[in-house]
Amino acid sequence: MAGLVKKVYDWLLRTFWATEMDVTMIGLQNAGKTSLLRVLSGGEFTIDSIPTIGFNMKRVQRGHVTLKCWDLGGQPRFRPMWERYCRGVNAIVFIVDIADVALLPMAREELHSLMSHPNLDGIPLLVLGNKSDLPEKISVDELIDAMDLKSVAHREVSCYGISAKEETNLDAVLNWLMKFANK
Amino acid sequence: MSYGKKDEDADTGLVKVDRTQVFQEARLFNSSPIQPRRCRILLTKIALLLYTGEKFPTNEATTLFFGISKLFQNKDASLRQMVHLVIKELASSAEDVIMVTATIMKDTGGGTDAIYRPNAIRALCRIIDATTVQSIERVMKTAIVDKNPSVSSAALVSSYHLLPIAKDVVRRWQSETQEAAASTKSSGGFSLGFSSSSGNLPVNNSTMTQYHAIGLLYQMRMHDRMALVKMVQQFGAAGAVKNPAAIVMLVRLAAQLAEEDPQLRKPMMTLLDGWLRHKSEMVNFEAAKAISDMRDVTDEEATQAVHVLQLFLTSPRAVTKFAALRILHNIASFKPQVVNVCNPDIEVLISNSNRSIATYAITTLLKTGNEASVDRLMKQISGFMSEITDEFKITIVEAIRTLCLKFPSKQAGMLQFLSGILRDEGGYEFKRAVVESMFDLIKFVPESREDALAHLCEFIEDCEFTKLAVRILHLLGLEGPKTSQPTKYIRYIYNRVVLENSVVRAAAVTALAKFGVGQKDPEVKRSVEVLLRRCLDDVDDEVRDRTALSLRLMKEEDDMATKFINNADNMFALNYFEHQLVMYVTSDDKSTFNAPFDIAKIPVVTREQADAEDRTKKLTATTPSLKPPKVGPTKAAQTGAESAASASAAAQKFTSELMQIPEMKEFGNVLKSSPIVELTEAETEYVVSVVKHIFKEHVVLQYEVKNTLPATVLENVSVVATPSDDEELEEVFIIQAEKLDTDVPGKVYVAFRKVNGEGSLPISTFSNVLKFTSKEIDPTTNEPEEQGYDDEYEVAEFELAGSDYVVPTFASNFAHIWEQVGASGDEAEETLQLGGVKSIAGMFSLFTTFFGSFRLTIMFGTDVPVSQTTHTLKLLGKTVNGGRVVANVRMAYSAKTGVTTKITVRSEEEGVAALVVASVE
Repeated sequence: MAGLVKKVYDWLLRTFWATEMDVTMIGLQNAGKTSLLRVLSGGEFTIDSIPTIGFNMKRVQRGHVTLKCWDLGGQPRFRPMWERYCRGVNAIVFIVDIADVALLPMAREELHSLMSHPNLDGIPLLVLGNKSDLPEKISVDELIDAMDLKSVAHREVSCYGISAKEETNLDAVLNWLMKFANK
Repeated sequence: MSYGKKDEDADTGLVKVDRTQVFQEARLFNSSPIQPRRCRILLTKIALLLYTGEKFPTNEATTLFFGISKLFQNKDASLRQMVHLVIKELASSAEDVIMVTATIMKDTGGGTDAIYRPNAIRALCRIIDATTVQSIERVMKTAIVDKNPSVSSAALVSSYHLLPIAKDVVRRWQSETQEAAASTKSSGGFSLGFSSSSGNLPVNNSTMTQYHAIGLLYQMRMHDRMALVKMVQQFGAAGAVKNPAAIVMLVRLAAQLAEEDPQLRKPMMTLLDGWLRHKSEMVNFEAAKAISDMRDVTDEEATQAVHVLQLFLTSPRAVTKFAALRILHNIASFKPQVVNVCNPDIEVLISNSNRSIATYAITTLLKTGNEASVDRLMKQISGFMSEITDEFKITIVEAIRTLCLKFPSKQAGMLQFLSGILRDEGGYEFKRAVVESMFDLIKFVPESREDALAHLCEFIEDCEFTKLAVRILHLLGLEGPKTSQPTKYIRYIYNRVVLENSVVRAAAVTALAKFGVGQKDPEVKRSVEVLLRRCLDDVDDEVRDRTALSLRLMKEEDDMATKFINNADNMFALNYFEHQLVMYVTSDDKSTFNAPFDIAKIPVVTREQADAEDRTKKLTATTPSLKPPKVGPTKAAQTGAESAASASAAAQKFTSELMQIPEMKEFGNVLKSSPIVELTEAETEYVVSVVKHIFKEHVVLQYEVKNTLPATVLENVSVVATPSDDEELEEVFIIQAEKLDTDVPGKVYVAFRKVNGEGSLPISTFSNVLKFTSKEIDPTTNEPEEQGYDDEYEVAEFELAGSDYVVPTFASNFAHIWEQVGASGDEAEETLQLGGVKSIAGMFSLFTTFFGSFRLTIMFGTDVPVSQTTHTLKLLGKTVNGGRVVANVRMAYSAKTGVTTKITVRSEEEGVAALVVASVE
């Protein structure tokens, strides 16, 4: 009997309060998408992860919200497919390696070309400057300028500096994502 | 929503699944949260469409594919399984499938007993591309040695598919595969069947993994014979491999190894022999088949196999009997004496209710039967002839026909049998088969002629088939006048004129005319004339026309009339004639029709040649409907007829090509063109091949040159061909190829004149140097540069040998020609001692390939070596000038000295015999 009550309770909870949201994580190769996802889902940071072929999918549980995170490969040959996985998601997370200044222009190119798709209008964008633990990093303000985020239109845009390795600022990321859970 | 309702929807949906509708429904995949049940039904529909042959266009497949990829990592194991299944099928038509690699990889490693693991592995190998195979190496290696057979099998089969795209990587998995092949464990425990909720693998006790592993190992080691031998021996040991399918694979491998390397024959034979006693039937059959297909199998070896097969003949299962009989039939075609012991068992099967078994039984018996047993067999067959269908009767009649030709002395009994069944009820096809058999008897067994004609005459007295009556009348016209009592037939023929329809009447008139034209006996001639005169009043104009023509011809005493009516000596090569006509009529090129069809191009063969060819064909093809897969243990050489046809077709082609060149017009027709001889390797910078054309007084070498260097142009390409002996050949001219672009073949002709006139047959070795001006192409303008440089390129030598002057021909009586040629021409002899060749068959194949290139026709009866120790090969050919060449090759084998061969060649033209013998060495 108690089991049945519990089942019913769980079911009610799932149906009325539990929410599932899709989040797509993109960025150039070696920006730290897979590592970040692993850390977010409670795993250990590893330095030697292999390049993602295609995509990974992981669920991150936070209170009654389940985040379904799609971590897409960043190599050039996968980039044309980003758009397909960004359609209809609750939020797009774009991750940048802020310790690799040389790649910033390319990251900006890719981001802006993705944002220009009319299909993706209105989907909130979070730009994360990863690897803030490294000494040669740039600051968040510099990143905003470098990525030309001010010109991104039709959506809510935020930008944080984080470190997947040191787990700095990750709560802020999750909280920001949760804002869109019920939309 | 109640489940009952949903099921209803699903049911009706499955009955009429429509591609566009399914594609619309596929939006379901994008909905959140995922509904596993509905998704599974939709996936099933997609799978159904794919399996029933529906093709999704690329864009739809891609959309579906990415929709499905959203379902990954669902908790529902069955859904995951389904996802993998559909992904695997879509992988070939969708784009960017590489995207899901990482996700699928996760499932391949996942919980060790997850139900979807094999599916994930199979899907993985479909989506992977060559560059990323490396990254799944570890996953595959563990899967191959997985203790669950399903997973292991999936991994092995996937590796098999991956091998062509990533050979080097997959090759590294050898030790794992080896382990999988050797593993005899199977997962224990019992399961109450498939349960989707638990998501566990159902228990699989199959040993099929071994089959897959051995298949893969073979693919990996294909080019390493030693490794293959080791593998066959290791797994061939008793008990090493349990799976019968895997052992069948080993049997085939063993047979192949024995075929390729004589050294291995003995150990492999021992293995095969052991497999004959394996407990699985399919292994026994495969081993017996392998033994029967083995080159120069000895009697003892075959006996072993026959003994095992004999036991199966009494098996209650039809399929077993059939399989055994089929292999026996095969053995019987070259070792009838070995199969003899089974005859009692096979005779029982003649009356088997299964038609295929009964037919094989009869044809086998007809093969194994010696002259003595034929009569008994015929009696047995006539016992049940009335109980079987027409179709089956035809098969038997055809088998008997072959037998008649084989044992001409038995013709009386067989003729009796044939005429007996001719009187039976039967349809057209059956009657036709019988009549044709009798025709063949008349043609090839002269002693039977009168009797057979008498039976046929009787038959047309009451024949309901116009077509057959016409054919028989024609034959009577041909053969009747040659018999001792032609008048006997005239009565039968005239009866037809009185009683039959117009078509038969017309045929009868023509037949009658043949008795009249050229008739020496004035009494007979007069009666024929009287009979024909009456036909002038016939109601049918065709009959009247023919009568009038015949009467007129009878009055002519010259050769013309005889030729017109009794033309029996020369005829066109009909096969080739028909082919040419069809080519002409179906030509796409309008200009073909500007010139009328040239009948002079069709080669004329003498009646004797055509008959000999016909006979050979009929003897070798036992029965058209039941042709044994392989006649004898050797690869059947191209039959004389085919080689002649292809040779003359090739000559036609070259002639028309060469006639385009004004300088060569005066040479006349090509007498013989050699096959293409490659002078370079296929992957060199310049690829050169040559064709030798023999003309009456000239020899033309046609070089095909291809420039494979990119971005260069060759200009003024010529070939300097130097004969080793320039006294007999004198160069006339060279036609250069003006310009050769990359990969566009061009032709260079070098013509020589035979110094000693048309009869001479110069032989020589030519050394060839390619000369040309090479110019690079300017990449900006795509034009060749002004300045080029002269270059030379030496290619291999080739020989103009005796074989280039010989063409095949046909004859029925070898001994006759042998004597004839021997009397008129010269003879050359050569004895060869070949210690290296281990058997007659080895020698034989050596010679057949050699004389095949020589274009001598191998006479029937000598084309399959029967004895182990001696064999005589008789060969016949014609030189381009028309002189006949005959060769008699006697081989003897002894264990001490190897094969001793004595070649005797006789030729009508002087010097040719020596030439042929010289080129044997």
